[in-house]
Amino acid sequence: MNTLSVKNLSKSFGVNKVIDGISFDVPEGSVFGFIGANGAGKTTTMKMILGLLPADGGEIFVRGERVCFGATETNRHIGYLPDVPEFYGYMKPKEYLLLCGEVAGLAASETARRSIRLLEMVGLSNANKKIGAFSRGMKQRLGVAQALLNEPKLLICDEPTSALDPMGRKEVLDILKQIKGKTTVVFSTHILSDVERVCDRVAVLSGGRIALCGTLSELRARHKADSVLIEFASQANKARFTADAGALLKNAVSADLELTLHVADIANAHREILRVLYANEIMPLKLEILEPTMESLYLEVAK
Amino acid sequence: MKAFIAFTKKEFTESLRTYRLIVLAAVFLLLGLMSPLTAKLLPEIMGSIDLGDGVFITMPEASAMSSWEQFFGYIGQMGMLALIITFGGLMANELSRGTLINLLTKGMKRQTVILSKFLTASVLWAGSYALSLAVCYAYTAFFWPGGVLSNAFLAFFSLWLFGEFLIALLIFGGVLFGNFYGSLLGCFGVIIILSTLNLFPALSKFNPSSLAAQTLNLLSAQKEAADYLPAFIICAAAAALLVAAAIAVFNKRRV
Repeated sequence: MNTLSVKNLSKSFGVNKVIDGISFDVPEGSVFGFIGANGAGKTTTMKMILGLLPADGGEIFVRGERVCFGATETNRHIGYLPDVPEFYGYMKPKEYLLLCGEVAGLAASETARRSIRLLEMVGLSNANKKIGAFSRGMKQRLGVAQALLNEPKLLICDEPTSALDPMGRKEVLDILKQIKGKTTVVFSTHILSDVERVCDRVAVLSGGRIALCGTLSELRARHKADSVLIEFASQANKARFTADAGALLKNAVSADLELTLHVADIANAHREILRVLYANEIMPLKLEILEPTMESLYLEVAK
Repeated sequence: MKAFIAFTKKEFTESLRTYRLIVLAAVFLLLGLMSPLTAKLLPEIMGSIDLGDGVFITMPEASAMSSWEQFFGYIGQMGMLALIITFGGLMANELSRGTLINLLTKGMKRQTVILSKFLTASVLWAGSYALSLAVCYAYTAFFWPGGVLSNAFLAFFSLWLFGEFLIALLIFGGVLFGNFYGSLLGCFGVIIILSTLNLFPALSKFNPSSLAAQTLNLLSAQKEAADYLPAFIICAAAAALLVAAAIAVFNKRRV
């Protein structure tokens, strides 16, 4: 079953068409990476899913229920972490979670039980000071805790890592990994390495349309490997190789002791490379068939 | 209902911890104290000033009515200004900072926000006003015992009602403009328009701002309740309409 279904969604601000008829499905239990440049419309899409923005056209379904702008019943299934979560600075984390629990209709004892567990998970158990004195990373982690408080079926995170230092990023990604499987996660980002670390499905938003959509392995297979990296022990070895390689060097990129070959037929090319290495008695430090990275896929579709 | 109680609790906590409650209570306490004192001392101060050649200003002897005159002057102007500044950010700050998003995405109804804020502000305003009134009443009775006030309830109630109108106006402006200055300017704009309309005596019967400026005349029995009845009804209806409009606009607003 799809936890989230977006069908033919579109949205304009004035004459500027930000979202132009996008459709995608997020199956239950997956971690869905929503990728796009700044201003591509990621936040706009998420706010429409949450009913905070009216859509111009199309439909959104959360667990089969249709999302309506304004009074949003479907939000009871959703936990939302805004890109910059804002809290009441005069409250302490536990007080804030208690307020969230009451608003969501949870019993106070249940909220207290969950708060302790969640604050521990996000590493804020000992942060017993007012939220106003929190660092950005701490606020982001408290944001994750409040989003998970009502045990949502769908967690939507808007660029949860983009404003954080490497430590904060790792912590937030680790939390997302922890809840993987229990909760369906949709998170937007423009940091491609984050996507590779936690996502199993991605959609790339470009020019208001979905330029690429599928599981990571599907995408990798579709954009199959066509690059080989060779790292030589010395410049002399590299020179001997290039002298004999001939047609292999057609689309080669050379950098220091490395040589990246872009070829049409990887099997043939591999055989030819090994022949040249063997014939010239070159022992390379590294010979690797390059997997297409998220970055190469992204750059390919976002052109 | 549960969300309403929770959010209202949050509003009171906020008022306490951001010193809104204390500032408002202190200002109104001070205004309540100043009214009888100014009334008592002003004739004496003015009388002691020698304008030269032995010319002195003689003011009519102070009475309970001059104390209430001061009270209406202070509360109707400085008190209302304090009210506007205190509650100008009530709705606007939540919207401009985005603090409502976490709560709204947990399924809280939008009207809960408006109604809860209106209730909290009304209670704070009523409390501060009652404090001010009690202090002024006690001192006035102490300085000028035995006075009789006519239409007391109605006269004091009218000032409170005008405050309610301002609160509704501030919440509506906050929802409409989404920031503190928009809310403030909107409120001042309406006050200026209403005050200008008050220049036409024929309209003052219907004008909500008469409730803040002129109901003193009820106390001194120069006017009767019926003279202000249309203004009462219009003011109460306008406040209710503004709250309803704030809900309607907020429901269609992007957050």
